[in-house]
Amino acid sequence: MAFVRSHFSSALAAALIALAPAAAHADKARDTLVYASDTEAENVGPYHNNVREGVIIARHAFDNLIFHDLATGKYQPQLATSWTWVDPQTLDLTIRKGVTFHNGDPLTADDVVFTLNWAVSPEAKVVTKQNVAWIKSAEKIGDDKVRIHLNGPFPAAIEYLSGPVVIYPQKYFEKVGLDGFAKAPIGSGPYKITAVTPGKGVTMEKNTNYWKDSPLGQPSIGKLVFRIIPDQETQLAELMTGGVDWIWRVQADQAKQLEAAPNLTVLAAETMRVGFLQLDAQGASPGSEPLKDPRVRQAIAYAIDRKAMLDNLVRGGARIMNSACFIDQFGCTDKGVPRYDYDPAKAKKLLAEAGYPNGFSIDLYAYREREYAEAVIGYLDAVGIKAKLNFLKYAAMRELSRANKTPITFQTWGSFSVADASAFTGVWFKGDADDRARDQQVTDMLKKADTTVETEARLAAYAEALKVIAERAYLVPLFSYSSNYAFTKDLEFSAQPDELPRFFTARWK
Amino acid sequence: MLAFTLRRLVVALSVAFTVSVIAFALLHLSGDLAITIAGPEASPAQVEEVRHQYGLDRPLPIQYLDWLWHAAHLDFGNSFFFRESVTALISERMPVTMRLGAIALTLSLVVAVPLGVLAAVYRGTAIDRLALSFCVLGQAIPTFCLGLALIIVFAVNLRWLPVSGTATWQSYVLPSVALGWYAIPAVMRLSRNGMLEVLSQDYIRTARAKGLSPTKVVLKHALRNAIIPVVALAAVQFGFMLGGSIVVEAVFSMHGIGHLAWEAISRNDFPVVQAVVLILAGIYITLTFLADVVNALLDPRMRVA
Amino acid sequence: MSETLPSALKAASLDQAPPRRSALSTFLVGSLGHGGLMAGAIVLAAIVLIALAAPLVAPHDPYAQNLARRLIPPVWDARGTWDHILGTDKLGRDYLSRLIYGARISLLIGSVTVLISGTIGTAIGVCAGYFGGRVDAVLSYLVTTRLALPVVLVALASAALVGSSLQGVIVVLGLLLWDRFAVVTRAATQQIAGSDYIAAAKAIGCSTPRIVLTEILPNILNPLIVVATLEMAHAILLEAALSFLGLGVQPPLPSWGLMISEGKQYMFFSPWVIAIPAVALVFLVLAINLVGDGLRDVTAPENRN
Repeated sequence: MAFVRSHFSSALAAALIALAPAAAHADKARDTLVYASDTEAENVGPYHNNVREGVIIARHAFDNLIFHDLATGKYQPQLATSWTWVDPQTLDLTIRKGVTFHNGDPLTADDVVFTLNWAVSPEAKVVTKQNVAWIKSAEKIGDDKVRIHLNGPFPAAIEYLSGPVVIYPQKYFEKVGLDGFAKAPIGSGPYKITAVTPGKGVTMEKNTNYWKDSPLGQPSIGKLVFRIIPDQETQLAELMTGGVDWIWRVQADQAKQLEAAPNLTVLAAETMRVGFLQLDAQGASPGSEPLKDPRVRQAIAYAIDRKAMLDNLVRGGARIMNSACFIDQFGCTDKGVPRYDYDPAKAKKLLAEAGYPNGFSIDLYAYREREYAEAVIGYLDAVGIKAKLNFLKYAAMRELSRANKTPITFQTWGSFSVADASAFTGVWFKGDADDRARDQQVTDMLKKADTTVETEARLAAYAEALKVIAERAYLVPLFSYSSNYAFTKDLEFSAQPDELPRFFTARWK
Repeated sequence: MLAFTLRRLVVALSVAFTVSVIAFALLHLSGDLAITIAGPEASPAQVEEVRHQYGLDRPLPIQYLDWLWHAAHLDFGNSFFFRESVTALISERMPVTMRLGAIALTLSLVVAVPLGVLAAVYRGTAIDRLALSFCVLGQAIPTFCLGLALIIVFAVNLRWLPVSGTATWQSYVLPSVALGWYAIPAVMRLSRNGMLEVLSQDYIRTARAKGLSPTKVVLKHALRNAIIPVVALAAVQFGFMLGGSIVVEAVFSMHGIGHLAWEAISRNDFPVVQAVVLILAGIYITLTFLADVVNALLDPRMRVA
Repeated sequence: MSETLPSALKAASLDQAPPRRSALSTFLVGSLGHGGLMAGAIVLAAIVLIALAAPLVAPHDPYAQNLARRLIPPVWDARGTWDHILGTDKLGRDYLSRLIYGARISLLIGSVTVLISGTIGTAIGVCAGYFGGRVDAVLSYLVTTRLALPVVLVALASAALVGSSLQGVIVVLGLLLWDRFAVVTRAATQQIAGSDYIAAAKAIGCSTPRIVLTEILPNILNPLIVVATLEMAHAILLEAALSFLGLGVQPPLPSWGLMISEGKQYMFFSPWVIAIPAVALVFLVLAINLVGDGLRDVTAPENRN
């Protein structure tokens, strides 16, 4: 026995010595930036996911036609060197020459025409229709000229072209198809995607041939590794031990604690993301009967102390939202929109009037920031509404919500970073998959607003629609999100308000 | 012996058959597959088209046989979420879980067998009591608590080992400890009891009477015989471990099939779930079948079944 | 233990004891002299009492949140306050009150699960042991099938299918954890079934249900209670694992597993949030296991180690 024991303990000692210098996988020395986030895109193709992680990859690996300069608020040439409105429904663009895709194919007007026509075709099954639904078709009208026909006047077109609408390589895409493209996407952006591993993440390398005049600038960091780490505490532990270099959405308490770490930088910034409760006003999902009564929906809005949640849970520059959009988006306003300030007594009264003096039981679905959802449940409990939390992955929650199976859904929406109210209202109220209110009047009002060309009239149209949405309390806007970024001190990184980390502008110190 | 093996084989096959029915049921209970495949925005006509295209309008027994035929050829269809073949997803992650299970099993055997032998040899002494208390305490600590504690101590505070992932062999150390821990009490009890039984037998007493040193008696004669049931248990434990690795893989963000199945469950991606259930059960059935046959070979008393 | 059971069944029945009628007096004397049993029983009784009296002993409403008073450390910390002895959680709810109400959930899950699984398992085991032959073969095959299913995975998948809730978890666990009951009661029944008094009962024309109810069940009660105790610990741990993976009991219910799961986000900077429910869970499971092990030693002294 003694023999066995001594053998075992010496082996253990040897193992421990060998382990002592645990390798760090990410660092400046290896010119590899490892960033972690919790959600995975079901498909890396930019038109086939609606998660933020997918948007980030899209902006790194693909180019837009137009560039929105956040510093000046102006639109600048990107793949399109110039553009002109022929009339409110026709947009002509000149496509830049000399840009190549990552596989060496030149990017031409044909690719632009192909991408747009494909994206609006029903067989493309684009996930967020609002992003392309304004396009009727595209045609080539010259060697480097493209004409986009719109379905109607849509002044926000330029904003969409500078956001979710990115350009695909026609030849390659037609060769590999949608599934092949998801596994090995090719774009023309500052980083090329070198590996997509489902469940694990995405690896990107600097595009050394990125076109010179790009308003995005030239990438500096050699390699980007996106690691999917579902748990926040694992992300934190990895960051503290040097396993990853960059994390975000750090919970406010932790962010405060991390500030003390000598090797880390912590940044807090408001984002365009708005958290809200989507209420099944149609009463289509199981147990959602009470929500058909607008008084019940208003009661829910009154029951929640958004200020306390903001001050104690969210923090970091976030603001209370009263309208169904992000307040800085064009067209978004909360002036003249009814407000539901915290008033549990009023909530109880409304519930009693609606015939629920003792409240009711209901299911609430959520997919992120579990503590926010739990706080909401606590507030609902205080007025007699017993909500049960169903915490799911985003994909599963979206599926259930779109199938009318979720009575209350804790949604968040970052509008694809599009600075136009239509990117919010269009998704949630224009009759598409995510519209649970299905209020034809609201849909018509929004259609009118989206297609109104004259600025003042457009603003007024949105204000009117937002007022109706708030009156009928189809959704309870809570607050904008602040994102706490935490990253290694070696990294020079600046956060933008549109919740889009741009690693192509980041560099090592 | 042949008759015994055949009988056991029949049992193993019928169990496998029943498990396949359960896995099939799991998939069909997860909702209307045609609607899921067609997507939430599909029109009723499109759903019907999908239903027909995928053969979901056929009677269930036919669908089952068709599915079984494909499953037998390791074709489990496509994941609803990744739109990729389930077989590809699983085969990519299988090595992680296998490695984890194998290391964990080795670890638990290396700790539990000597401990069990020691406890038996020093039966009734403080060593025995300590070993048994360790067992009782060990059983009471949930795997995920142990995993989190290991992360805090060895990954974050001491920085000896990585927090998560499967990048290097070091990544396997903490998860294997957390997983192996779970098997220690069972293995220890069995080796202790086996040892006690062997030690009370005549030939050991004879060996002792002949004046052989106690250490030699234990190591050379007793251990060899006491270890047989442990080998069989080890095979079964390996099957249990692969099933139990789901918690450990979740704690350490390891991309094995347990993690895959867990994420698939929370995404309502049941083609993946049923395939993992079927594969884990298949491994378990094969292992226990082999363990039975090996046991019977080693110990003729057991062939009477 | 029959020699002919497959390895799988053996692994499941490791802790089973041979049946033995024990007089009340031996039982009492035995228990009092058994340190582990006494310690376990005292801790368990304390937890049960606190759980039953939760509304009386809990200092606050476990659901009342106050976001302005979040994450207050326990009283032994410099920033702690006597108002919240164990501090508050992420929503400012009193942690001690949640812990006390959480004991109810854990005990409820443990006991109801065991009631369900015990009924199923005992029915199967007694039938198999009493009738033997074909019935035994079929039921043994049922147990083998159940053991082949990866328990955590199937529990997670089923919980997802029936919808995560307290009732859902109890039903799923109850339908899954009957295997050990079946194995143990089968062996116990086999031993009694051949005895003279059963033969006598048959001879005087007692009906089978009557024999089972009046002769067999009372005589297999001891091993049954032992298994029930150990399985209760098993169920509580599994519930914790399910809640930890997000598919068990759902908020705002304060299950201990859920509290650990919710606390892990804060484990680096507010470790008490995770440590308190974890320690409570370990104590509960440890106490139940000690009682179970102790009962086995006392009711079956010849098996005593």
